[in-house]
Amino acid sequence: MVSTLTLCRDRRTQETGCLEELGTMANGLWHDNRERIFLFYSFFKTLVGQPVTVELKNDLAITGVLVSVDQFLNIKLDNIKVVDEERYPHMLAVKNCFIRGSVVRYVQLPAPSVDTALLQDAARRERQQPAAVGRK
Amino acid sequence: MDDHAPLESAGIEEPLDLVRLSLDERIYVKLRGDRELRGKLHAYDGHLNMVLGDVEETITVVDVNEETLEEVIRIVKRNCEMLFVRGDGVILVSPPSRA
Amino acid sequence: MDSFQIFTTSTSLVDSVDKKLLVVLRDGRKLVGILRSFDQFANLVLQDTIERIYVGDTYGDIPRGIFIIRGENVVLLGEIDEDKEDELPLREVPVEEVLQIQREEMEVKVRKEKTKHRMLSEQGFSVDAAEFGELY
Repeated sequence: MVSTLTLCRDRRTQETGCLEELGTMANGLWHDNRERIFLFYSFFKTLVGQPVTVELKNDLAITGVLVSVDQFLNIKLDNIKVVDEERYPHMLAVKNCFIRGSVVRYVQLPAPSVDTALLQDAARRERQQPAAVGRK
Repeated sequence: MDDHAPLESAGIEEPLDLVRLSLDERIYVKLRGDRELRGKLHAYDGHLNMVLGDVEETITVVDVNEETLEEVIRIVKRNCEMLFVRGDGVILVSPPSRA
Repeated sequence: MDSFQIFTTSTSLVDSVDKKLLVVLRDGRKLVGILRSFDQFANLVLQDTIERIYVGDTYGDIPRGIFIIRGENVVLLGEIDEDKEDELPLREVPVEEVLQIQREEMEVKVRKEKTKHRMLSEQGFSVDAAEFGELY
């Protein structure tokens, strides 16, 4: 258990390097094979700091500031507020949360912060180079 | 057989190519959990994760009356300006003509 | 590629290690414990865990001890604001009491759910057997 923990902590420093390596969608740096996986990951990274509402498959909807996202689209929110608070008393004392990507149904986004032209462009380009990665 | 030629020349080789052709168009999406979406497709990936704009969501709810056990089907509509939809909930995507 | 996939994962949980967290599971259970370790799948190790059962404005606790939670069952985890925790409009009651009410509520819910599924499948919506176990 202790060694796992150490490993977890080491990752933090390694992540910084990885993120630099990535290049962001905002800069239009879409030049390598990774882009297939990273379209929405990169997209969400452009929204860090923005208020979003995450609706889960169990109908719980949480509004908060997007703090971070990873390649599984796990989401971290700060300053959270649950949309229908009375139904979810267990969330009252929770200030920030980590949401596992697999339980997300929707994320409601602030429309002005979304560059739709860039998104469409990225989605189009992504499909044009499937051979570079191989079919799933 | 003749039907296949135009599709290929339009760059359609696999199912998701049809979705690509729907970019910037309004599409219909059927989801798990008795939900349907209509909205403009801005992005998608191989999991069918999507970003939709000007979305109308339709939820089909069944209300059960506690005493009479009568069932009433109710349609709930919601709108959202910009929505990310996780692909694992998607049942089908239908191109513009139906939306 | 593989190596950096591992390192971008769930690193955001680093900050939550050694803190008191609320963990919500896919079956609706709520656990409160101290996060001691995690990995890229959001597998978790919780120490001094209690299971907290909420019914209306009451809750009851069951002491559980150490938990190793498989990541796929995690819905979310949140840091508990200990200041807020004390001023919640919630009342602790003996666990037997909550369990009894919970059982009764569950029976009603399951019955309703069955009717709903029948109606909805007549409407052409998918009836997902898995959802029966997940009335969270």
